[in-house]
Amino acid sequence: MDNSIVISTPPHVKSKRTTRKIMLDVLIALAPAAICGIVYFLLDALILEIVCVAFAVVAEFVYFFIAKGGFNVRFSNDETKELAKKVAELKKAGQPYDEEASALKAKREELKKAAFAKSRGVCLSFFRQFDFTSVVTGLILALILPPTVNWYEAAIGSVFSIVIVKMVFGGTGRNIVNPAAAGRVFMFISFAITAYTAANFGTIGEASGDTLSSGATYLSGALLLKEPNVGAVSLVDLFLGTGVAGCIGETCKLALIVGYIYLCVRRVIKWWQPLLYIVVTGLMAAALNTDFAFFLPSILSGGLMFGGIFMFTDYVTSPKGVYAQIVYYVVAAVLTAVLRHLTHLEVVSFVILIMNLIVPLLDRYIIRKPFGYKREKKTKEVSDK
Amino acid sequence: MKAVKGRFFFGGVHVPDMKALTQDAPIEELPEPPVVTIETSQSLGKPAIPCVNVGDTVAQGQLIARANGAISSDVFASISGKVTDITTLEDEHGCQGQFIVIEGDGSRSKQYMPPLTNPSAEEIVQRVKDAGIVGLGGAGFPTAVKLQPHKPVDTFIINGSECEPYLTCDHRVMIEKTDEVARGARYLAKALGVTNIMIGIETNKPDCIAAFEKFDDIKVIALRKKYPMGGEKQLIYSATGRKVGLGKLPADAGVVVNNVATCLAVCEAVELGKPLFQSILTVSGHAVARPANVKVPVGTPYSYIVEKCGGEKEAPRKVLSGGPMTGVAVKSYDLYVKKTTSGILLLSKEEAAAEEPTPCLNCGLCADHCPMHLMPMNTAFYSSAGDIEKAAKLGGAMYCIECGVCEYVCPAKRPLIQAIRKTKAAVRAQQNKGGK
Repeated sequence: MDNSIVISTPPHVKSKRTTRKIMLDVLIALAPAAICGIVYFLLDALILEIVCVAFAVVAEFVYFFIAKGGFNVRFSNDETKELAKKVAELKKAGQPYDEEASALKAKREELKKAAFAKSRGVCLSFFRQFDFTSVVTGLILALILPPTVNWYEAAIGSVFSIVIVKMVFGGTGRNIVNPAAAGRVFMFISFAITAYTAANFGTIGEASGDTLSSGATYLSGALLLKEPNVGAVSLVDLFLGTGVAGCIGETCKLALIVGYIYLCVRRVIKWWQPLLYIVVTGLMAAALNTDFAFFLPSILSGGLMFGGIFMFTDYVTSPKGVYAQIVYYVVAAVLTAVLRHLTHLEVVSFVILIMNLIVPLLDRYIIRKPFGYKREKKTKEVSDK
Repeated sequence: MKAVKGRFFFGGVHVPDMKALTQDAPIEELPEPPVVTIETSQSLGKPAIPCVNVGDTVAQGQLIARANGAISSDVFASISGKVTDITTLEDEHGCQGQFIVIEGDGSRSKQYMPPLTNPSAEEIVQRVKDAGIVGLGGAGFPTAVKLQPHKPVDTFIINGSECEPYLTCDHRVMIEKTDEVARGARYLAKALGVTNIMIGIETNKPDCIAAFEKFDDIKVIALRKKYPMGGEKQLIYSATGRKVGLGKLPADAGVVVNNVATCLAVCEAVELGKPLFQSILTVSGHAVARPANVKVPVGTPYSYIVEKCGGEKEAPRKVLSGGPMTGVAVKSYDLYVKKTTSGILLLSKEEAAAEEPTPCLNCGLCADHCPMHLMPMNTAFYSSAGDIEKAAKLGGAMYCIECGVCEYVCPAKRPLIQAIRKTKAAVRAQQNKGGK
């Protein structure tokens, strides 16, 4: 028995699942949607995906580097200053100063080495703790952008998501809203005049669906017409994303469903969570229009499915308890359907933000009763009799 | 009786059981160690008071320390020999305890109680008490106290679930001593005055289920393979559908639960008059050369057992006393087997978890898997913030059974059990303060 023995509280065996593995699973689940986006939108989508992911990771690294004091290094200290002063004095006086000068040089070299060692240490600790959350955030952000967005806008949105929404609050697990949703809303508000109008509202008058109609646009377009026309685009087209323009990752519903099944099989998300959200939204949309024909178009359009599968289920910003989760998804669904009906906009990102903000309340007030809690009540009743 | 399926309960987790290492190894009685060091604290409650002096000659089974209080238990000499020392040493928890050292003389002289034939209920309770029998499932609650429940009970359950990974000693007892366990259970049921006897066995031990199906008076419950199925509250719910209230004892639900090893000890105490001075335990893990199930006298040093099992195959990362989910990580082999010791595990580098914790993701897996339906992440969060009141209230820490499931499933490897224990201790300290 040697000193390598570890003492800790139980349990002494733990599951093999780690944060990193979960995030890699999410990336794998996002892959079909990302690939479909590239197939449909070609270079535009590829550039946006690469830009978003790269800027997200770089932003996280830079923030981490600064916050952990990677730049907070000094190449001089009191000792070197004094030595330099001495050397200067000696030089002025015309005396030999070789000894002091070499000492100064050695000291500076030493400091330089220490500074680089510190920076390298910070870099290494970044890679040790890197858990792919920023990659996931970047990719999700790219997938919920219309392909017409400029790459530099995407870069700004990506940096905003990571730095302002995630890292400032304390990094992984501490952000209060979904970084990707916040990034998208930020871009939507900031750059609305250019890409977003084109992608989201361009077809309201046309309602034909062959130009730039995002799914939600199609729906709002159909709704805005004098005679609501839910059959303007075929459901198969909506499902496969063929001939329907929209956001990069949201068009092909088949790819999203493949990702959903993967996440469920890997037990990353609970199977009923997206289902509850999507189905309740569809039912609510049908109820608001008093026409069941609205059910399928509304669940197949826009970012609903993508948001339900990949964004609402984000661990950090969703409730922890089962009952709180049920309330969360149902309220989110109702809100989505109602806001869509009233505004004719694509509201999923906004709903995600709103719901994220009430999560602490849900967590605080909807708490599961411990096992055996009811029994206590029952025995009381019996004894009363 | 034909096995019945156990009820489902929410929570719990499938832990790889790793029982294949030892489940086919028969229980072997190791040669007597030359010296045994017996702790006087062998149960919950106060340590027993030594009633022998240094230099006394003792026989196997002779009383060497008398119980001190209601939930303390008698301690017996586990080998015949001479008491050479009564000293203070550290136990596996790092606490100081009183130990009686006996040097064996090899005479094998015995001092058993007279066997009982067809005993009455009172006689059984008295015998269980005299034989110093404690719950061998781990907690070490004196069995005699359990046999005098404060409320009438109608069901007696034998806990044969052995849900802890690695441990197979109960499994082997059920296979090799089926009749003795059944008879011991009947004695206990008689002492309680109940006729409804059940045995809960996890489905990963089909041979045990088959073995117990031959008895007509014992109802076999085939429990789902799930940790912590052997937790008292979970077992009672699975077997009978009754829920034990929070802060209540099983007797409040009309049930008494005892471990299979306890039943065996009761049978031996009644029929042979043999007090409890031996312990059956599993030596396992990938760092031990020859994993085995062994029967040793109480007080045998760990080093002796590990040596008899072939020693270390590789340097262990963790050495455990008990199972990997609830056992204690110890720092050396200078420890001694107690009545309740159920295993010595030498976990290799690959098996033992020693990862650095990463930030909590709020994934809620701990709450999903908690068999008590608590919120461990809240306890951890508020306890690290120093808010004990909220940690106890929102996390439900006081109802925690410390099964370790939350920490097992945590993808961020957060030290949840540590936070819960800290909270419990702080709340108890506050209550004690308030009481004074």
